[in-house]
Amino acid sequence: MLLHYIDLSWRSLKRTPLVSFLMILAIAVGIGITMTSLSVYHMMSMDPIPQKSSQLFAVQLNTTDDGTNWWTEDDVPMQLTYKDAMALHSAESPARKTASMRSGFTVHLNNQDLKPFLSEARLIGRDFFPMFDRDFVYGSTWTLEQEKSSSPVVVINEELNERLFGGLNSVGKQVYLDDTTFTVVGVMKQWNSHTKYYDLNNGAFDSPEPMFIPITLVAPMQIASWGNNNGWKHEAISTFEGQLQSEIFWLQFWVELDSPAQVKDYRNYLQAYLEEQGKLGRYSRAVPEFNLQNVNEWMEYNNVVSTDNKVLLGLSFLFLAVCLANILGLLLGKFLRRAPEIGVRRALGASKRQIFLQHLVEVSLLGFLGGVLGIAIAQLGLWGVRSTSNEYNALATMDISMLLAAPTIAISACIIAGLYPAWLVCRTQPAIYLKTQ
Amino acid sequence: MLEIKPIFNSLLRSKAGALMLLVQIALTTMIVSNAASIIFDRVQYLSQETGYPEDEIFSFSVMSFDKELDLTQKFEETETMLRNIPGVKNAGLFNAVPVSGSGSATGLGLKPANERGQDSRSAYYMADENALETLGINLIEGRNIRADEVIESQTRDVFPKVVLLSKTVADELFPAGDALGQTIYFGDMPLEIIGITEKMMGPWLKDSRPDNVAIIPFVGASTFQRIIVRTEPDQRAAIMRQIEDIMLEDHNKRVIVGLRGMDEAKEIYNAADTLMLRMLIVLIVVLLSVTALGIFGLTVFNINKRTKQIGTRRALGARKSAIINYFLVENIIICLTGTAVGSVAAVFLGQNLLNFYSLPALDSLYIMSTVVFVVIISILSVIMPASKAANISPSIATRSI
Repeated sequence: MLLHYIDLSWRSLKRTPLVSFLMILAIAVGIGITMTSLSVYHMMSMDPIPQKSSQLFAVQLNTTDDGTNWWTEDDVPMQLTYKDAMALHSAESPARKTASMRSGFTVHLNNQDLKPFLSEARLIGRDFFPMFDRDFVYGSTWTLEQEKSSSPVVVINEELNERLFGGLNSVGKQVYLDDTTFTVVGVMKQWNSHTKYYDLNNGAFDSPEPMFIPITLVAPMQIASWGNNNGWKHEAISTFEGQLQSEIFWLQFWVELDSPAQVKDYRNYLQAYLEEQGKLGRYSRAVPEFNLQNVNEWMEYNNVVSTDNKVLLGLSFLFLAVCLANILGLLLGKFLRRAPEIGVRRALGASKRQIFLQHLVEVSLLGFLGGVLGIAIAQLGLWGVRSTSNEYNALATMDISMLLAAPTIAISACIIAGLYPAWLVCRTQPAIYLKTQ
Repeated sequence: MLEIKPIFNSLLRSKAGALMLLVQIALTTMIVSNAASIIFDRVQYLSQETGYPEDEIFSFSVMSFDKELDLTQKFEETETMLRNIPGVKNAGLFNAVPVSGSGSATGLGLKPANERGQDSRSAYYMADENALETLGINLIEGRNIRADEVIESQTRDVFPKVVLLSKTVADELFPAGDALGQTIYFGDMPLEIIGITEKMMGPWLKDSRPDNVAIIPFVGASTFQRIIVRTEPDQRAAIMRQIEDIMLEDHNKRVIVGLRGMDEAKEIYNAADTLMLRMLIVLIVVLLSVTALGIFGLTVFNINKRTKQIGTRRALGARKSAIINYFLVENIIICLTGTAVGSVAAVFLGQNLLNFYSLPALDSLYIMSTVVFVVIISILSVIMPASKAANISPSIATRSI
């Protein structure tokens, strides 16, 4: 029966080619525009690490005086001071935690073959890799001893390994970062994350850094942050030691907490830590304030999806609504003109239900065709987005869920638009039309 | 004359189609007026003057990894070398690059920072006496920095005594306009205002005070050093192509990164806005076409449905213009009702966008122009099918189907 309905629909489409074309075009354009902004929105807001996003928490400590304003919605600074980050980093619990900071170095092999180049690096604790589910091609992370003794060891990603060592097992090889010799301890599998959720300070959609070195090197090597340094009070800082002891915020901190009980324990721990620091007179704050937010909360808090994208998405759906109103109008006309034919079919024994279903099949076919054409239009739109801004290269693409969403939205939209005309036409009284024939 | 009453009655008899057209026109009015308002806001933002000759300036960063090197001395030589390249007007070390989105800002106050007086947030460039020429900025009051006022140091233990301010920040600190010669504080350091420049932008165009800029005569060559070069406009591309080789020939333990013209840097900084602008333009163009097609389609359909009726009217003596008028008036009734509903919806949407996303408030001018535009488009899309209808022969009426 369904096949028969599809066949009927196809004939009907062919009978009024102009109107059918207009309807398909309307739905296709609507879907094309909507899917372009929906795809970008989807990529931006997508959970970057679904299997663990509720176990990884970003820590914020408010170590400013009462009444200090910050640009976050709750006035809590985004990052931590060096003192606090390292205190939490070297604490006993929880099992996995890491301070984190972005920096960069000139990379070279101290020979003439390779032109020195600049590369970003992330300073972290060894827990970072298991926390963020990073696997290794060769070697592994550095040992706890190496971390504690601030050893110059480095984990590089596959791409950098290809560039420096031709993709061979480079564990144990030497590489120069600025003028310091580092030993490669691991080659990490390429990390293709389009949201840099673990550090949203400078470009939420930048690529992850290609090198990772122990955070304990910050003090001995005097490594400055390439990210934000934000102060809140006047401090005369002239040396790097001064920066380390200052109240400037410049490090991120992440913990992995596997159960609500662990979260509760850690909250208590942070509370106690802040009370203790408050007693030292670092800041005057009546009630200790801190945030513990999981990956998705953290992305929301950081407004990863910009207001522009939200507005655009909203306008696109309104646009789709216009297209639907358009189709509804055309469908009304098309279906009602067919009333005489329906009258005959009803007289020959077709039930209202059958007529109704037949017309819904017809609008679904319209929706399907429009959806497929819409995907093509959306691809064109996404290409336009990519060519406007490099930042959107990884974001302006349709993944499989979006490819499936396009015809789904198109068909359901068409069915909604077709309900009323189909209902009207199935109520046709056969007698009226039989009389005039 | 306009036969509004019978047209209205006939509209009421086939409500659904007309209603859909009305909804469509209302939504179109609502979307287009708001989108147009955002577009205008972005166009204004994107086309603002930065104050710089953008096509003459380019910048790059030098990462030095030679720990033995005396950076201050080396960069002094590098600067001289750069200034001597044919086609280069001037060049210099800067702590930040204008309109690049990255730089430093501080609160400039009338009192030292620990006394917390009035304080104006301002971006600052640290550079030497060549800064103004390198950036192509003119003084409007006072004098330029002298070479002997420039401090060259790796630490901030010794700090300059003078400063140049952009007109905006000078006026903000001294609303009476007597900034020249006065003293302001950078942290605890007193600085005498020796010159006031014309308008120039800081690193962040999106700042609430984008053109608050101070130029401080301080050069602290660092391992990650930004350099700005100003050339003859027609030679910039050629010099940019050679610059990496020239810099590496000068000293090979360094890496050159971030080489780009000022116009390109601005484009990158504004990429998201350009994108929004283009998307919105595409959206309203397509939307208006869809609406026009919808009106066209519905009129064609109505005419087909009423072929007999039109023939009868013609046979009874109606002129062709009367037929065209009928469809025009019918369309204008729907269109005016639709745009009226749409205007109310547009104000509502504008309010919400303003409240939730702090987008610029919707000016009623946008709504009015959109209404006029939508009405014109709908008239245009109805005229063609209507004049076709006027050509329906009266003899049709006498035939059965």
